[in-house]
Amino acid sequence: MITRDDILKIAKLSKLSIEDEEIEALTKDMAEIIQFADTINTAVEDENMEFDNISNIINAFHEDEVIESFDSDLILKNRDGGEDGYFLVKRRSVN
Amino acid sequence: MSYELVAGLETHIELSTKTKIFCNCTTEFGGEPNTHCCPICIGLPGTLPKLNKNVVKYAVKAGLATNCSIRNISKMDRKNYVYPDLPKAYQISQFDKPLCENGYISLSTGKNINITRIHIEEDAGKLVHQRGDTYIDYNRGGVPLVEIVTEPDFRSIDEVVEYIEKLRLIMKYIGVSDVKMQEGSLRCDVNISVRKYGDNDLGIRTEIKNMNSLSFIAKAMEYEFNRQIDIIENGGIIEQETRRYNSDLNITESMRKKEDADDYRYFRDPDLVTISIMDEQIQQIKNELPELPSVKLKRFVEDYNLPIQDAELLVKYKKVAEYFEEACIKIENHKVVSNFILSQIFRTLSTETEKEDFNILIPPSYLNELVKLTETKKINSSLARITLEKMLETGKPLSEFITEKHLQGIDENTLKSICEKAVLANEKAVNEYLNGKEKAFGSIIGYIMKETKGNADAALATEIIKTIIS
Ligand SMILES: [Zn+2]
Repeated sequence: MITRDDILKIAKLSKLSIEDEEIEALTKDMAEIIQFADTINTAVEDENMEFDNISNIINAFHEDEVIESFDSDLILKNRDGGEDGYFLVKRRSVN
Repeated sequence: MSYELVAGLETHIELSTKTKIFCNCTTEFGGEPNTHCCPICIGLPGTLPKLNKNVVKYAVKAGLATNCSIRNISKMDRKNYVYPDLPKAYQISQFDKPLCENGYISLSTGKNINITRIHIEEDAGKLVHQRGDTYIDYNRGGVPLVEIVTEPDFRSIDEVVEYIEKLRLIMKYIGVSDVKMQEGSLRCDVNISVRKYGDNDLGIRTEIKNMNSLSFIAKAMEYEFNRQIDIIENGGIIEQETRRYNSDLNITESMRKKEDADDYRYFRDPDLVTISIMDEQIQQIKNELPELPSVKLKRFVEDYNLPIQDAELLVKYKKVAEYFEEACIKIENHKVVSNFILSQIFRTLSTETEKEDFNILIPPSYLNELVKLTETKKINSSLARITLEKMLETGKPLSEFITEKHLQGIDENTLKSICEKAVLANEKAVNEYLNGKEKAFGSIIGYIMKETKGNADAALATEIIKTIIS
């Protein structure tokens, strides 16, 4: 069962603020999503088959050979603030 | 009432692969900020990580060298948490199927420290705090790590220190990491609790995070041990929490309490496919492992007849151990070779790094030649010492310094007259010696060595002098 507390906890972990009147609707929606996942789980017949590895691909590796990294101008292109080649951590107000 | 310390360790070791764990950027230490980066290791959406083949191989090596069993089927998971050094807001790690499990490292007392698991994961970026702001360099982001987790088997700080030293040496021997603590390529989290002797239940533990120096670890544990005892003795209760060591004040301080303990919501990383390792591959990696330090130590003591302390010092540096073995070929008394290395050669190498690199000018065959001459009594030990010094300075073989004249030595009659001269010239020392001051004898011998330019047989000279003055 999904409870009101679960929703508040997930919201906190996701760094989302939730209004009081939204909680009930979210609880109901979340319960439906979980139930859907449970339904799919029961559809997996072979117990030995891992649900999360349905593609059955194994061992896709990269060789340990250096390829030149990206130009740091490109890496930093979307940054907001920062200097001397660094990203800047945005200051957050404490809430 | 006396208390017992109970501790467990989580050790992060950076692997020395050429490339990062999920992309082909270099793992080189340092560099201008954000120049060892690509869309994968700065976590841009839509990129596809691919596991580094050597990361798996190195981790399996680490597991085999610490007596772990290796999983045939393994996978990568996402560990979710929000922190600026982690651009994806999750770290790719391993949760319930680590590559290696159930190993141990034996301490010198014979006690085993059990290793619960070894898993692979990516390192985070580096935060730089300046002028009240925080900046990020992602060069280290995505560098491969192994995390080695022990059971709470430690009962003293000494055991922890010995374990870390042993672990470091093993990783260095098998070549999976440079384990440079000052560069942060080996970092430890220590779980620590106390209980009264005789209690079977574990006390409430605290965790001291992210220490990269043996002396800090020892000091932090000492402080934390006493802090917990103080609380209990004053009727308080230990709070389960994460703490950090403040080296300026030599204290541990609280970082976060259990109530805001992390909920990592681990789940399988759908971008990374299953890792499968066959038994034959594991066996092949096992065959490639070099002789491990513990095995080498045992062999040095047994085969070369060395005292354990000497053997430990030789084995501590892989290159020194190799040099020693080559210098020992066809030598009977291996202790002589070990003595030359540990005293005279080590004196020229002041730092640990210099001993590790062991870049000395003479090859082991030169030392071997010198020791052979002393074994056949063709030269005495003080001449050998002087010659070795010259060899170390110049890199030249001993034939440059030892002449035919040296090899013939000084005949007994000549030595006898020099000894007589020495007794007359060192009246004070002779009297002191006769009055029981053993040490005074040294200066008489020193005089003879000076007179003969180190060519005299010290044992014979001692005998002669004792006959003269008795
Ligand atoms: Zn990259």
